[in-house]
Amino acid sequence: MLRFKTFSILSSAMMVLLLIMVVSLLWGQYPIDFHTFMGYLEFKLMGGTGNDTYTLLDNIILQIRLPRVLLAILIGSSLAVSGAAFQAMFVNPLVSPGILGVLAGASFGAALGMLISEQWYVVQLLAFVFGFVAVGVAVLIGGMVSNSRSTIMLVLGGVISGSLFTALLSVIKYMADPYSTLPAIVYWLMGSLTMADLHGVLMVSIPMLLSIAGMVALSKYFDLLSLGDEEAKALGVNVPLIRFLAIILATLASSLSVVMAGMIGWVGLIIPHIIRMAFGPSHRLLIPLSAIVGAIFLLLADTVSRLAMSVEIPIGILTSLIGIPVFIIVLKNARAAWN
Amino acid sequence: MELNPIITVNDLHFSYPKQSVLEGIDFTLNRGEIVSLLGPNGCGKSTLIRLILKLIHPSQGEIWLDNKTIDRYSHREIAKHIAYIPQYNNVPFNYSVLEMVMMGRVAKHGFFAAPSARDKEVAHESLCRIGIDDLAHRPFGQLSGGQKQMVLLARALTQEVNTFIMDEPVSGLDYGNQIRLLELISDLARQGYTFLKTTHYPDHALMVSSRVVVMNGGKIIANGKPEEVITSTMIREVYGINADLITHNTNTWCIPTFNKGIV
Repeated sequence: MLRFKTFSILSSAMMVLLLIMVVSLLWGQYPIDFHTFMGYLEFKLMGGTGNDTYTLLDNIILQIRLPRVLLAILIGSSLAVSGAAFQAMFVNPLVSPGILGVLAGASFGAALGMLISEQWYVVQLLAFVFGFVAVGVAVLIGGMVSNSRSTIMLVLGGVISGSLFTALLSVIKYMADPYSTLPAIVYWLMGSLTMADLHGVLMVSIPMLLSIAGMVALSKYFDLLSLGDEEAKALGVNVPLIRFLAIILATLASSLSVVMAGMIGWVGLIIPHIIRMAFGPSHRLLIPLSAIVGAIFLLLADTVSRLAMSVEIPIGILTSLIGIPVFIIVLKNARAAWN
Repeated sequence: MELNPIITVNDLHFSYPKQSVLEGIDFTLNRGEIVSLLGPNGCGKSTLIRLILKLIHPSQGEIWLDNKTIDRYSHREIAKHIAYIPQYNNVPFNYSVLEMVMMGRVAKHGFFAAPSARDKEVAHESLCRIGIDDLAHRPFGQLSGGQKQMVLLARALTQEVNTFIMDEPVSGLDYGNQIRLLELISDLARQGYTFLKTTHYPDHALMVSSRVVVMNGGKIIANGKPEEVITSTMIREVYGINADLITHNTNTWCIPTFNKGIV
């Protein structure tokens, strides 16, 4: 019965995501009605080519809207799942890729990559490496100040780590060419999905989806690790291995999101909290559901920002504007469970 | 009765960089025993338990579990021999009692395997045996201390092992729950489970133990039948207070000498 419940929640969430995906593909500066879309879909599935109307639709849907929709889904999923994973790994409901400094570290790494190399994989690799270093710095500082497992100390460690890499990022900006590289870095960092191209999105989707799948596969251990190391070990869990894998996967997924769309904060913090409040803390539901709800959240935010305003607000700014008030409510409701 | 050792500890030493905690412990836990580890704060009781569970590593000496030394076991294999019941503590995420109890089954699964219907069944059976199946869907965090300890005991039952190690099982429980938990332990022992538990209370050691091991300053200073080991002399030596041992209704009780009115 438990599994039936899990399955129905996940499939309902998936339906909602698909629905928003279709809406997002159809709506925009050039609206496409549903009937035309179905015709286009049928035409594409039959393998047809050379129809003028459909060439236009090809451009709008395949070249412009689809990459952006897919990227929003991938990034929303990655950030939400990484947030939930970090929260379980550090037994700390207040951490996320943003709070732990991963996003700042990855931004520094990616900016450094842009400065020293034209190669895309160098940018990705450096983003991941410095994202990982940033978690390390946060944990080190958190553990140095107090040797016990402290919620607040780890958050402070993350704040320091984030500041450090933000400062280093400023150094990169200062050194960057003010006419070409600097504006590129600044605009990218604000968080934007507009640069998405289908090929790039498909390339990055492989490691991102693998990371998410890995975290879903490990999710039953996240329950155990959140009991604390000693209890988890005594129950038979290989704690160092699970923690290492989970941190690597969460860092990889969130660093790649930075490479693709800059710093998009708060998703990793609020989505797991909202799900926990609604469906309980069991990670076997929390992790896969975070993936879907994170995708819904970011896709919805991006679609609304694309439609509602004549000037697009960068998505990173928008998620902060939505995320902060939500988090305050969450903080108030969830306080009882932490003490 | 032939002794059947489950855990054997030989010349065990453990020290932190600036402080020696255990200085040569020799100890055996035999099948069917309830052994109480007694001793003042910082005497090394909990350290000994953590060493046996391979949560920390000894600086010298060895620990045998069945026919192998403990360093040749993975945590998963240890969990198939020994269930550990920690002092209950707060979990930041509020799992239900059933979820909490089912976590005891993890060592039984394949690496990626999901919990099965069988696991849920075992969890319910365990809750029933402890008599708390009605709590199954309550949030663990909202239970009383006594109930939490019972849940952890039910979780240990789901591991389907014969040896239980408990770290100060009654700490933080009210008087009624302390006695009820001790009765439960003695009941499970009659069903064939072996217990190793630490305790701060000589009375509790007298009530439910087949053997008492007294530790002080990182050494075992007494080891034997409860009534033989717990004496006025031992209490004075270990705890620095005076106490009388009194027999009432065939049970022996430890009554401390209490001076009222010292200003």
